Amino acid sequence: MEQQSSTQESPLSTNPFVYTFESPHPVYAMAFAPSSSSSSSAAAAASSSSSPRLALGSFVEDYSNRVDIVSFDEDSLSFRADPGLSFEHPYPPTKLLFHPSPSQPLLASSSDFLRLWRLPADPASSPSLSPAVELRCVLSNSKSSDFCAPLTSFDWNEAEPRRVGTCSIDTTCTVWDVERGAVETQLIAHDKEVYDIAWGEAAVFASVSADGSVRVFDLRDKEHSTIIYESPRPDTPLLRLAWNKVDRRYMAAVLMDSARVVVLDIRSPAVPVADLHRHAAPVNAVAWSPAAPRSLCSAADDGHWSAAHPDAIDPAMLYTAGAEINQLQWSAAHPDWIAIAFANKVQMLRV
Amino acid sequence: MVALSPIRLQKALQSVAQSIQWTYSLFWNPCPQQGVLVWGDGYYNGAIKTRKTVQPAEVSAEEVTLQRSQQLRELYESLSAGEASQQQQQQLQLARRPSAALSPEDLTESEWFYLMCISFSFPPGSGLPGKAFARRRHVWLTRANEADSKVFSRAILAKSAQIQTVVCIPLMDGVLELGTTEMVEEDTGLIKHAKSFFAEHHEIQSMPALSEQSTSNPAKYNEPPSFQVGVTMHRMHAEPTESDRQNDEDDDEEDDDHDDDDDEEDEIEGGSGSEVGTLKCSHMITPTLTRIEGATTPNAEHDELMQLGLSQNVRLGSPDDCSNNLNTQLQMVGVCCNTSGVSNHQREDETYHCWNFLHEDICSELQQQSSVQAQELSQEDAHYSETVTTILRHNSSRGDESKSNDYFVPSRQTAFAGWNSTRDHPQIVLSEGTSQWLLKTMLFRVPTLHCRYKDENSPPSIEGEGGGSRSRKGAAQEEPSANHVLAERRRREKLNERFIVLRSLVPFVTKMDKASILGDAIEYVKQLRKRIQDLESRNRQMESLTKTAELQRPGSSKDPNVPRGSGSPQGSGVDHVATSQLKAFSSDKRKIRVLEGTRVVDAPSTNVQVSIIEADALLEMQCPYKEGLLLKIMQTIHELRLEIMSIQSSSVNGTLFAELRAKVKEMNGKRASILEVKKAIYRVFSNS
Repeated sequence: MEQQSSTQESPLSTNPFVYTFESPHPVYAMAFAPSSSSSSSAAAAASSSSSPRLALGSFVEDYSNRVDIVSFDEDSLSFRADPGLSFEHPYPPTKLLFHPSPSQPLLASSSDFLRLWRLPADPASSPSLSPAVELRCVLSNSKSSDFCAPLTSFDWNEAEPRRVGTCSIDTTCTVWDVERGAVETQLIAHDKEVYDIAWGEAAVFASVSADGSVRVFDLRDKEHSTIIYESPRPDTPLLRLAWNKVDRRYMAAVLMDSARVVVLDIRSPAVPVADLHRHAAPVNAVAWSPAAPRSLCSAADDGHWSAAHPDAIDPAMLYTAGAEINQLQWSAAHPDWIAIAFANKVQMLRV
Repeated sequence: MVALSPIRLQKALQSVAQSIQWTYSLFWNPCPQQGVLVWGDGYYNGAIKTRKTVQPAEVSAEEVTLQRSQQLRELYESLSAGEASQQQQQQLQLARRPSAALSPEDLTESEWFYLMCISFSFPPGSGLPGKAFARRRHVWLTRANEADSKVFSRAILAKSAQIQTVVCIPLMDGVLELGTTEMVEEDTGLIKHAKSFFAEHHEIQSMPALSEQSTSNPAKYNEPPSFQVGVTMHRMHAEPTESDRQNDEDDDEEDDDHDDDDDEEDEIEGGSGSEVGTLKCSHMITPTLTRIEGATTPNAEHDELMQLGLSQNVRLGSPDDCSNNLNTQLQMVGVCCNTSGVSNHQREDETYHCWNFLHEDICSELQQQSSVQAQELSQEDAHYSETVTTILRHNSSRGDESKSNDYFVPSRQTAFAGWNSTRDHPQIVLSEGTSQWLLKTMLFRVPTLHCRYKDENSPPSIEGEGGGSRSRKGAAQEEPSANHVLAERRRREKLNERFIVLRSLVPFVTKMDKASILGDAIEYVKQLRKRIQDLESRNRQMESLTKTAELQRPGSSKDPNVPRGSGSPQGSGVDHVATSQLKAFSSDKRKIRVLEGTRVVDAPSTNVQVSIIEADALLEMQCPYKEGLLLKIMQTIHELRLEIMSIQSSSVNGTLFAELRAKVKEMNGKRASILEVKKAIYRVFSNS
């Protein structure tokens, strides 16, 4: 975590548009900041104010884990780790997300609890003195229920940033009001563990579960949920879900042990509008383009990262990392950059 | 081609829907900015509020439906103002009325279908309208409600709306789409008729003449060889299976079939209602029934339409053709995607095939699922519809600015390589069980890590949440206790098994409980010890006996001259003693089990011992050997729901010894008792 810059061309490829960062730990959770810290920040002096910033969550099967903040300078095309912004995290974070609004320097993480971390507004002014990141709150549901089960994932509602939805192995989804730090509602969402959750609208979210279903919930009517897809072979768990933020009609789901990405159209439930299966190995992550409504990318064990259109059969293009890609994020603030993570490496790829 | 003015277009759509009595008519306009077909206008002519029981296009209902189309437009417009094209917005402004807007719950399924169509757009070559547009040929889809979503993107909506037939006709510069809840076979007459409405309007306005495409299209359609004379336009389908069968038959046979069908139809058209009723046996037919009845009622316009159909009909609508259409449709999707994507065009066929094959296995499952889903959906329709409309409303307002560019355009400096389906991708050989390793670890193992770790070392708690960790401890204990239960069960099973073995070793057991088995086993071991002592002493006795015999014998043998007769009585006497002793010994040995096992009954008469511990049973029996006896016993105990696991049997000197182990299954909630089993076996003995 001490390295200032570790930019080098990946030894695995001679691709000149790939920039690799080597983390001291294996990386799983990863999030792009909505944009770099506020434009008034003095950090702008050091790096371009619009440079992409990443939060990286370590993966160590133990209590002690870390979250590092890394910036990527688009001018010098180099990474800059900010040790002052690194902080300890209990257990590996299953997901990291920045507050959707750039004006709120908040980072959320999920593991045993949902935690909110406040990043210093001006990271350059207090360089590596005291841990600059402060734990703002731990959201625990233990008051209303005896047991706050570990969280598998969460999603920040962009339309209503007060709302964060978490999902847990105890079959529930919880909607939090993060401003009040309280539970807004908790729903028994599935028959089995819930593995991922995604907001589609201020009051609408979808979740995937070990029970093999994608369900849509509308907070205005909590009595109902709608199963809009079930995995073709019963009880094949669905592991990941991505709701297209540009064209909300579409969402994509990842099945366990499957090289397919299933694209769903909320208007025609039950039958996927597309079934992308050009990966040679099971898919680990999927992300929609933050800019183009009909493009998505997926990353898989075969080390390929591919971008495809949901109604196309073949991916439009492909990148091979040479290792199992575990994580994939497409920067909303910088739609021409995609970050992938494999082993202890993070790569920025120009799209 | 010059498009009709919005009002003319609307009138034309209304006329055509009412004339052919179909559920709806739509017009898809090309949108130059997006390069896709978007909803231009439509007329809803289907059921309102109530399900499809009313005859459409009744004079009284006409006004209602007209108003309804406008209301539907308004509803959609209110839900998604941004999505409508310029022309449509003008249209909406004209159509706007002060009437209260509908809410999604007020809609029937087919209205919902109509409404949702507005949100769709089709790139040329994709979807039914896109395909019709790209090929400049009409597309006729029957059983749209059963179609795969790959073929017909609105299939699910069509299913709940029971839209069975959808036709897309390239017209002017757009595509006319007609749909009905009825099953209507492909019919060029109808297409021509539908086109004529738009032509008429052209003429009325003394606009430029008919478009070249629309006049040339019927000619194209005359090319297919399966021409047929005198076919009525509305061919019926009794059941899907009938059409499947027809699929397999030759053209000639098919022609015959058609003739048959014609006869049937003639009967219906001229015949009584009861005849009609006898033909309809599946639910699919119900709308057709309405259709036929509609046809029999004097309807001048309709008769004219029939005339057209009769005189010019070219049969394309056989199920064969239909399925071909679907296939080509699929292929078109593939081609379309390839052109819109970056991939190379040479490989499009292979791409398509590959894709198609891979899909076959899941398609059937998906379709089954979707039928279930559709039922569920119809119940929760209102709820989910509302959710979807909310999303669409926000979607359109948000997505507007980026609409122009549907696909991202990679920069020149992209890190990515273009996809090439022929390229050999470096395959990473994954060892077993490592797929999605980190993802699975994150989802399956890390959560348990929290519980375990908290339980073991209660780490420095940042959150200081006492409640959380306490409850976690409780959960952590739960898991071992579950394991404990499992281990305990295994232990008990093993114990029972051993008891059964012990029981089988002890030939007499007074009671079947475990204490008695142990007590009897102790008793048995004592007996055995005693027996050993007895035998050992007897053995010594025998040895001494044989020794004396030996001593005597050498004496006799020393005198070979002694006549055999004189010496033999003595010798044989000794011999006799010895052999009888030996006999007694050996018979004793053989009898050990028998003796001790049968305190009551003498060997070799009948003896049955039954022991049952929980689900394990051991049966030992001994009885005079009879042919087929063992089989009968097995049958008998099988009837008592004892599942035989092993049998050991032997027959010595006409006595059958058998030892059976069995699992006792429950019968009517209880297991067979020892007494029952015993009785049954004795019954077998006595009967045989």
